[in-house]
Amino acid sequence: MIDFIRGQLISIALVIFILGLIYQLIQFFRLTRKKEWVYPPLDVKAEKKTAGKWVSLCLASLNGTMWKTDPQMTVMTSIFHVLLIAVPIFLLGHNMLLDQAWGISLWSLPESITDILTLVVLICVAFFLGRRLFLARVRAITTLYDYIILLIAVAPFLTGYFAYRQWFNYDTVITLHILAGEVMLITIPFTKLGHMLFFFLYRFFIGSEYSFAKGARAWTW
Amino acid sequence: MENRMPNQGAKPVDTKQIKEMLNRRKDKMKRYLSYCAHCSLCAESCFLYMEHHKDPQYMPSYKAINSLGRLYRKRGKVDRKLLTEMKGIVWRNCVLCGRCYCPIGIHIPSMIAFARSILRSQDVYPQLDEVSSESWL
Repeated sequence: MIDFIRGQLISIALVIFILGLIYQLIQFFRLTRKKEWVYPPLDVKAEKKTAGKWVSLCLASLNGTMWKTDPQMTVMTSIFHVLLIAVPIFLLGHNMLLDQAWGISLWSLPESITDILTLVVLICVAFFLGRRLFLARVRAITTLYDYIILLIAVAPFLTGYFAYRQWFNYDTVITLHILAGEVMLITIPFTKLGHMLFFFLYRFFIGSEYSFAKGARAWTW
Repeated sequence: MENRMPNQGAKPVDTKQIKEMLNRRKDKMKRYLSYCAHCSLCAESCFLYMEHHKDPQYMPSYKAINSLGRLYRKRGKVDRKLLTEMKGIVWRNCVLCGRCYCPIGIHIPSMIAFARSILRSQDVYPQLDEVSSESWL
């Protein structure tokens, strides 16, 4: 079993992760089509804007978004999501394993830095957990599933932090670390964690008031 | 003035019809429901939430989860009592102004509008012109 977790399951998890994301991507484009413009564009010439006007317009566009309403959460969630991707990719240990297995590796961050960044991820998760437990509005929509998702997201970092420090039994902790990573990869395309992909699809492709881009697609019914 | 009885309760709930309606938009709506991170960051974008002293019941995600989300969870097998409860959520607690902000990009107004359509198909809707007690303003 342990050999399976440390061997074959890694490849299986990677294949499920990649194929799962491709499947979701294909489904998205199958379920959406190029938008028909219901409202014709207004025939009004745009006024020439000064640099100051542009800046104030950009700042005004943040009204109602989380940057204005909850800056604390915005900072925490931005840091968390960047590190969630960056830390495992630029971790020296992971790149050494990649080099051994396939003869390729990415640029690695110093171990002392990734150690601190892992701790930052853990602090962010503690912050999210605190919100779930103590903020009435978050608690009102929280289910057991949300805690499980948070656990799936934090487990690879927690076990990785323990493994680097050689806390508890190293063999057990590193096996749990590998298993946690595999569970995360397998669950991403099929659970709430899928917002990793859908954030970009929804905010860039689907037209709405808060689209980042033109939002030229709409759902087919 | 004539005191007319509300029509809600006149006929039994057609769960088959609700299920058909839910299935028709399942691909989009279930994706929206399942990718909602339950982060509550949509809260402050709702003026009703702000006006009601930040009561979580007025939070856009709460309204979508407890109306359309419930209909999907129960696979349309709902009774009139539950539909009447949802009526308050999708009409009184939401005016469909369409300004809810979701960082993931979930379009909450379309979920509320769809829940309204399902309720309307079962004759559950506010009758502001007929029943004075329906007024919540």
